[in-house]
Amino acid sequence: MRIKKFFLLSSIIVLSISCSEKRNRDIDAVIYWSSNNTEEIEFAKVVVNSWNKNNSGRQVSYQPVPEGQSSEEIILAAVVGKTTPDIYSNMWQGDVESYADAGALVALDTLDGFWNLINERCDSAVIKEVTSADGHIYQIPWKINPIMLLYNKKIIQSIGFDNPPSTYRQFFQGGSKFSKDKNGDGYVDQWFGYSEVIVTWWQRLFDFYPLYIAASNGAPLVEKNRAAFNNKYALEVFKFLQNLYRKRYFAKERLSQRQDVFLSGVIATRFTGPWEISHAEKFKPEGLEYSFTHMPVPDYHNGPVYTYCDPKNIVIFKTCPNPDLAWRFVKFMVSRENDLKFLRITNQLPRRKNLAGDFFFSEYFKSNPKMILFAEQAEYVKGTDQALYLKEVFDLISQEYEASVIYGEKSPEEALSDAEKAVNLLYLQ
Amino acid sequence: MKNKKLIPYIMVSPYIIHFMVFVAFPVTFSVILIFHKWNIISPMEYIGLGNFARLFNDQFFFKSILNTLIFLLIHIPLQIIIALLIAEALNRKIKFKGFFRTAYFLPVIVSGVVVTMLWQQLYGFDSGLINRFLVSLGLGKVGWLVDPNIAMPSIAIMATWKNVGLYIILFLVGLQTVPPQYYEAADIDGANYFQKFFRITLPSINPTIFMVVILSTIGGFSLFIEPYIMTGGGPLSSTLSAVLYIYKQGFFYYHMGYAATLGFFFAVLILSVVVIQRKFIEKEK
Repeated sequence: MRIKKFFLLSSIIVLSISCSEKRNRDIDAVIYWSSNNTEEIEFAKVVVNSWNKNNSGRQVSYQPVPEGQSSEEIILAAVVGKTTPDIYSNMWQGDVESYADAGALVALDTLDGFWNLINERCDSAVIKEVTSADGHIYQIPWKINPIMLLYNKKIIQSIGFDNPPSTYRQFFQGGSKFSKDKNGDGYVDQWFGYSEVIVTWWQRLFDFYPLYIAASNGAPLVEKNRAAFNNKYALEVFKFLQNLYRKRYFAKERLSQRQDVFLSGVIATRFTGPWEISHAEKFKPEGLEYSFTHMPVPDYHNGPVYTYCDPKNIVIFKTCPNPDLAWRFVKFMVSRENDLKFLRITNQLPRRKNLAGDFFFSEYFKSNPKMILFAEQAEYVKGTDQALYLKEVFDLISQEYEASVIYGEKSPEEALSDAEKAVNLLYLQ
Repeated sequence: MKNKKLIPYIMVSPYIIHFMVFVAFPVTFSVILIFHKWNIISPMEYIGLGNFARLFNDQFFFKSILNTLIFLLIHIPLQIIIALLIAEALNRKIKFKGFFRTAYFLPVIVSGVVVTMLWQQLYGFDSGLINRFLVSLGLGKVGWLVDPNIAMPSIAIMATWKNVGLYIILFLVGLQTVPPQYYEAADIDGANYFQKFFRITLPSINPTIFMVVILSTIGGFSLFIEPYIMTGGGPLSSTLSAVLYIYKQGFFYYHMGYAATLGFFFAVLILSVVVIQRKFIEKEK
């Protein structure tokens, strides 16, 4: 009997310690988690101090998202443990739908002044993009890093181009002229471009997906819980990339373990974002000139070229004891003045319409001329579809991408068809 | 008196608490999960045997089991042969015996992550040391980790290098239990080295060989760190091990119910293999 009681008591203690959750929170205080890179922590400090100075009774405290394998993992753990902050500003757009579906987020469109803010900040396409399946909006589009083509100016000129290659045909021409076996060991050791060949889902956000958006002017991958990507645009992209690898214009080896292959002239181009600027400025060898242009498109493409913009947005969690106060801080945080501070401190673009043409930001772009290319591109960007299981969708595409594009084991048609079937099965399950 | 009776319970309580938190609760919870769909953040949904239906149609899971078996087929014989040969050499009167024993055991105590990252550098296609050496000999480069046909054998070679030290020690212990009289009698009969090795040494250390097989099998089934770090399961899913696949389902896609089902199925599979091996051993004895 005593033994039984002892076990019962132990169980209750253990379970109550592990499961108990009680947070005594001051209703007039807000907790804000920023990203954990140095620049964004600095921005969080500036914006929070500025708010606290003028709102003595309603203080905001900030901290970077705790360290972990990824911030997504930390946020998930916080949601499960009900230890989420009130505001989080680094939520990948593709994750929002699953948190909204689980009831973890506040529907921001129910809060006072939401529509004024969103209409002032975003155009109708962006508003549509961030609207969830249930018709509510759970996120404020905050920052973007559009993916563009980085190119080495001297190399591009040396192979006979006046302008950087912008179509698939020009890309192949560039590849045939630049890719070669320099040391004569029978293996190509200088490539026209490079994209990591790893099968990890997010790698496709930096090669297949921006190319797909560019080719299709922003077509969805998933629509109404069905695969929507088995179309001529995805087929063109698969064929384009497959040929680049087959002709050895792109390296199949993982070059990321070496010294920077772009800065050392081993590759002439790379699909990348504005973060490359500060890296290149810090480490580039003397004489290296580089610039950015839009993603390559099929030869028949007309009009502006879209790309993926890696959007990170602001959300308010349902655990927040005072969503109105949190919302007032969010409105302050995304004001034009604070967007400019954000741009200056982090060199990342606020997701705000007409950024390149807005006089308010022009001084920054004058002193950071390479960033204007990204600001102009920001008018033609797309984030992610508002759909569940997006990571798995990308993973399933990535499996087929590897089989078809990298290894040529399947035709692009077969690969896309198989990916479509797998994605449809995923939503059925 | 009362206090005296409580003392044993207090003494065992750390283990009981540990057992309940880290064994009893997870196992019970995973059995519950098998019949549910749960992504951690949404409430659990009862789906009966839905996870099993999904499992039997999951080509990736069966591919991952096949990959694990391929790994075992390469890794176990390779490990036994190399460990036995080195143990046999170290069992003789050689100089620096202590140094060699330590050197062979060193990789066992080094972190698996460190070893994996080291071998990743060795296996690099263009800049890896092994390929540079091959090219310097006038040979071609090998796609150690990028060729789907070679990636799993490459991982098996690395795993063998990492673990062989432990099995060398086990074989050394086994070899030292063989009575020297057997060899003396064989010498009198005029047996050569190979005859002594195959007729005396091998049969005498049979129990050690079977123990090594069982330990390698269980260890091999849990293949995870190497493909997770080196290849992510690629190329073309050729290094996707069963444990890596279960991990991905659970902690990457948060299909907790499905991951628990895969884990359960895989545990039954390992148990079956080990039971068969044990029966075989008992028969041999």
